[in-house]
Amino acid sequence: MSKTIYQYVDELPKGGITVNALKSLDVLLPGKWENLVGFTDTIKALTGETDETMIQAIGDRAVYLFNDKSEGYQRAMWLYHTVDSASGALGTAAIANQISDNIPLLGNLVGKVTPKPEQAQSLDLAVKLVAEIVAFCQINGIPGDSIGDFLEALADYGSEAQIRMAALVCFDGLVPLGAPFIEKVLQTVHRAPTDDLEKNPTFKGIDEMIPGEDIGSKRNFIGESVDSVKDWMGSFIADNELTQDKVLDTLSSAVEISKDKLNYAGAFLDIAVKYYAHTGTQTLARRLIERSLAEI
Amino acid sequence: MQQLAHWRKALTALLLSLLLVVSVGCSQTDTSPFADTQQESTEQGAAPAVADDAQKGGAFNRFFPGSEGGYDVVFAQEKQGFAEAKLKHEGEDIGLLAISDTISLPTAAQKYESSTETLEGYPLLDIGDTQTGVLVGDRYQVKAISRDPAFDAQARREWLQKFDLAALAVLE
Repeated sequence: MSKTIYQYVDELPKGGITVNALKSLDVLLPGKWENLVGFTDTIKALTGETDETMIQAIGDRAVYLFNDKSEGYQRAMWLYHTVDSASGALGTAAIANQISDNIPLLGNLVGKVTPKPEQAQSLDLAVKLVAEIVAFCQINGIPGDSIGDFLEALADYGSEAQIRMAALVCFDGLVPLGAPFIEKVLQTVHRAPTDDLEKNPTFKGIDEMIPGEDIGSKRNFIGESVDSVKDWMGSFIADNELTQDKVLDTLSSAVEISKDKLNYAGAFLDIAVKYYAHTGTQTLARRLIERSLAEI
Repeated sequence: MQQLAHWRKALTALLLSLLLVVSVGCSQTDTSPFADTQQESTEQGAAPAVADDAQKGGAFNRFFPGSEGGYDVVFAQEKQGFAEAKLKHEGEDIGLLAISDTISLPTAAQKYESSTETLEGYPLLDIGDTQTGVLVGDRYQVKAISRDPAFDAQARREWLQKFDLAALAVLE
């Protein structure tokens, strides 16, 4: 890994499409997401410490922990960044498909070589959820397939972790797939042809990190993951009264996207909004800093 | 022809200066206050962040206090040589409770040499603005860390006392 942990955190943007899109979600949710950027500032904000020597010691320990590959932090960082860039490729394919819908000849042609956007999008959401579970286990030192531990922690997710899951539900679920997205995702995960799963860019991106020895057991793990989180997702939507319309309304006022371009909204979010990489870096920094503070 | 030669010279000069800019840019040194540690922790033969013989994080869990009287202890991290729980009061995070094995970071244990207080016979120290720690069995550091001003130094001592310090001290 060529980038240092402090470079990752220092380079997080204070504004732009990703941050604006996340802020638009934040207003729909209880609690407050603070977009913490900058390594030293993050240490100060999270620890409440003001002494420079103390802040240096916390940062030094965090650097050491991040650079020790066996600690799993680098794998988690890789996961958060890879699901974002891989799903961006999916967005590009989806846009090509949308455009081709208006050109029947090309549409038939493209239809044969690219999966239907709804199926691809469903798989995308499912694989992103698995990335969250695996990254959670890497960061917190829990065996890689422990969905139960993840579920317990999910109930307590706050700040950037909560906004990341909210974005997963809204930007990868509600917006592109509509209200019944959980059922669609579950059906797709269980029924999609193996070939389509293997070719899905998001799946391909993190395939090696998904628990399971073969495609069948990996599919089972993805299915179990979605199945176990579906109730949480349903309650999250109900408790916060989230609807496709509501999310699009706030989103369209925060970023340049018109509501009548609904067909493109999901693909646009895929390409332009890198919420996993952004908030994943923040989660990783938080955990590293909290651990460092306790260890020094 | 002369004009062409002139352009060639100009182009060569331009390329050379571009090369200079690029090479200066690439050799720019890391000016972060953490650059030395970055260098030290990534060079060949660098010591790992966690010692091989550090205790498993899971071994620490049983020494933590349990939830009581409106306070919840929720485990958050469990890595080799380290375990941490959030302390919540009525759903809000008010503090962090942690045990770490100083075998990976001897300086963490050395600071207790300046301690003037004890808790159950173990050296106790207020650290920075937000932490209170105790060193148990000359090896395990137990910390209570504030996330809310109400969880003050006195409250941190009270929660440190709720750990099973005596049992932790003899953990091998």
